[in-house]
Amino acid sequence: MLRKIKAKIKKLSVPREKSVKAKTVAVRKKIKTLRKEFVEVLSKEAILGAQEMAIEQTKFSHPQTLKLRKQMSQDLPGGYGKDKITVQVRDPWWLHCYWEVVASTWSNLINRLKEMFFSAKRVLRVYDVSHLNFDGKNAHRYFDVEVSQEATSWYLDTGGPGRSWVVDYGLKLANGEFITIVRSNVVTTPIDGPSWITDEEWMVPEEMFGRLYGMGFGLGRSSPVGKAWQERFKKALFSGILASPGITSAASPVKKKPKERGFWLVVDCELIVYGATEPDAEVSVQGKKIKLRSDGTFTMRYALPDGKQVIPVKAISADKIEERIITPIVTRETKISNMVKEDLAAQFYKNE
Amino acid sequence: MNKGYLCLVLHSHLPFVRHPEHEDFLEEDWLYEAITETYIPLLWVYEKLVEDGIDFRITMSMTPTLISMLTDSLLQDRYAKHINQLIELSHKEIERTSWQPQFQRLAIMYLNHFCRARDTFEKYHRNLVIAFKNLQDLGKLEIITCGATHGYFPLMDSCKESVRAQLKVAVAHYESNFGRKPRGIWLPECGFTPGHDELFKEAGIKYFFTDSHGVLHGTPRPKYGVFAPVYCKNTGVACFGRDLESSKQVWSSVEGYPGDYNYREFYRDIGFDLEFDYIKPYIHPDGVRINTGIKYYRISDPSGEKQPYVPEWARDKAADHAGNFLFNRQRQVEYLFDLMQKKPIIISPYDAELYGHWWFEGPQWLDLLIRKTACDQDIVKMITPSEYLEENRRNQVIVPSMSSWGWKGYSEMWLQGSNDWVYRHLHGSADRMTELAKTYPETTNGLVRRALNQALRELLLAQSSDWAFILGTGTHISYAVARTKDHLLRFNRLYEEIKANSIDEEWLADIEYKDNLFPEIDYRVHQ
Repeated sequence: MLRKIKAKIKKLSVPREKSVKAKTVAVRKKIKTLRKEFVEVLSKEAILGAQEMAIEQTKFSHPQTLKLRKQMSQDLPGGYGKDKITVQVRDPWWLHCYWEVVASTWSNLINRLKEMFFSAKRVLRVYDVSHLNFDGKNAHRYFDVEVSQEATSWYLDTGGPGRSWVVDYGLKLANGEFITIVRSNVVTTPIDGPSWITDEEWMVPEEMFGRLYGMGFGLGRSSPVGKAWQERFKKALFSGILASPGITSAASPVKKKPKERGFWLVVDCELIVYGATEPDAEVSVQGKKIKLRSDGTFTMRYALPDGKQVIPVKAISADKIEERIITPIVTRETKISNMVKEDLAAQFYKNE
Repeated sequence: MNKGYLCLVLHSHLPFVRHPEHEDFLEEDWLYEAITETYIPLLWVYEKLVEDGIDFRITMSMTPTLISMLTDSLLQDRYAKHINQLIELSHKEIERTSWQPQFQRLAIMYLNHFCRARDTFEKYHRNLVIAFKNLQDLGKLEIITCGATHGYFPLMDSCKESVRAQLKVAVAHYESNFGRKPRGIWLPECGFTPGHDELFKEAGIKYFFTDSHGVLHGTPRPKYGVFAPVYCKNTGVACFGRDLESSKQVWSSVEGYPGDYNYREFYRDIGFDLEFDYIKPYIHPDGVRINTGIKYYRISDPSGEKQPYVPEWARDKAADHAGNFLFNRQRQVEYLFDLMQKKPIIISPYDAELYGHWWFEGPQWLDLLIRKTACDQDIVKMITPSEYLEENRRNQVIVPSMSSWGWKGYSEMWLQGSNDWVYRHLHGSADRMTELAKTYPETTNGLVRRALNQALRELLLAQSSDWAFILGTGTHISYAVARTKDHLLRFNRLYEEIKANSIDEEWLADIEYKDNLFPEIDYRVHQ
């Protein structure tokens, strides 16, 4: 976790648009003072996220059942029989897309392009179509991502929060020409911070908004205000881009112990007291009446703590004429001995 | 005069898990545990407050899948069996711990808890939904709905017909259970994408919630941050943003209450701790050890051994924490009232299953918080979103931002290497469902209609965000894989059979019997 935060901080300190200004001493200083706060904010937020996940996970807290597995021999459809590419938004920066191109489309392309088909690259062309009616030519800009031949899905780093995107899957010929095979739906990535647009009727002073903004994120009233801070804060909080695509360890919500070797041993003792008498007799153990089985036998099971247990078992005949008492006396004493082979342990920690 | 409002939202949800084809099915325990540890203890809190004449307001979502399970007679019977087993086990535990008074008193506590739970369950003729409905009818609870099967809406954006179906099925189901339309919705995983508010409006929903950044990153800037609702542009559906400060006090393992050393430890259960032959009848028949719900330890200082749980100490802590929470809300509300010049609303949503199941003392904390709020002060008042909107009709109009309350705040929890494969099939099947709904606008053939309705049930069940969530966590994924594939396979077979006009009635009847939720579903909502 700490390593990850450090990595985030490292990246944070370089603004997205690398400007020379960022390297000036003044900014560096500012960043330095902010770092401490980031570490605090980041670790809190990271823990909060992991925490929620861990709690939600406790709803599904069982080891899996071994049933059901056999039934699943069938496979899901390999495709749905249509040329299609679908884009969806993962976060302000990343898109996910998947596509299907049917066999007949491929053979048409081969017929049409002949030799050129085989030297062509498979490419995703990502168009920025923010605030416009995209006609295939009027995008603000686009970039290409080459994908492998077998790929049928891809994650795309747009680097552009608050923009609209369309993705074409197609072929890029050796001469640079791009041929669209399928075109996606339009998606819009969310902005990664507060909007710069304000509403005249609902005008809010910058400072007041800054305070409300920090409070909404649970940073208390003293949260710093100012654009620079906000910029960095919002990136810190939502930067999916900075983390690995996999999930962090499903952290236990219980306070974690420092890293240690996992070896352990638990030993406990229970005592079974059992016996038999006439089925209609009245039996008590340590003065407490117990129930007999229909054949007159009985079994009692006790967790046995350290110390001496005196266990009088008394039976009284149904006609109350006879009484018998048998008293087992049991003592438990537990000794504990732990040993660590120091030379081997030193080796272990060195290797960690 | 109060200076602001607290709106507690408890989101209660479990995915539909019901396997009549198996005598004993481990994952059904999710429901049984939640009934014993969360839903019934919450009812106790609410009912006692009503009895004591303490006024309160809680907003509670109950998902259609959860309601379907709580009202299902097979699962009700199985729960009765389950609670009886626990009662039997706690009797044995009382005897076994005779020489360990520190544990025996806990065994007695569990016995009482389980017996009371059984009484409550039977008092409502095994249908707990009735109990929650009564509290709504009394005006104490506002029960809101959710997606029919808790499908995650932002990743259905490319097939809005599915979002529409999730909403319409949920609303109809709510109406048949509560006798009126739902006013609000808890979006599955709090997942919002701009534009979906049109579908909310179409379904008659007046408000929803987003995570903090859903509102704070809305356009234009929300004047009051998350401390007042906003209306969505063009639709007028109200949106409330989560307050992270109050969330953190409960959730966080650094500052959060549930991590207190005096509280009960969730991860030590006699199902794992006790000798195998003794505990065998109460764990899975295959011998897999599971949680029984009987837990004897407190969280304890990590530097030493786990210590036995002491209920009195835990209760004192819960009282402290309730007081601390209220104190912080008072300061927050006072500060915001000055800053905003109007009464703020603080939205504090939690997974209901946090209370009681994971945080054993949660219901106690809630009870004490409500009592202190009602009796000890008048700065903060509890309110429901509907009441707040009633009182504050004029609100700013913005477009809230896409957001969720999941890991990293957007869709990554449900869209990553381990689970992204499901969307090709979910969307492919959704397109097929739309095609079916259009091909059969009216059908008089009873068998075809049954198949079409079942197709929609199977699609909805495949869409549950829980499967993608479990796949995303990477542990115990086989059940989630099986469920996703099962429902998709059933759907696609139905699709083929309907189109080929060769419906296998016997098989259809079998899956109708297994996936029996939403009896009144109408496939035509998927358009």
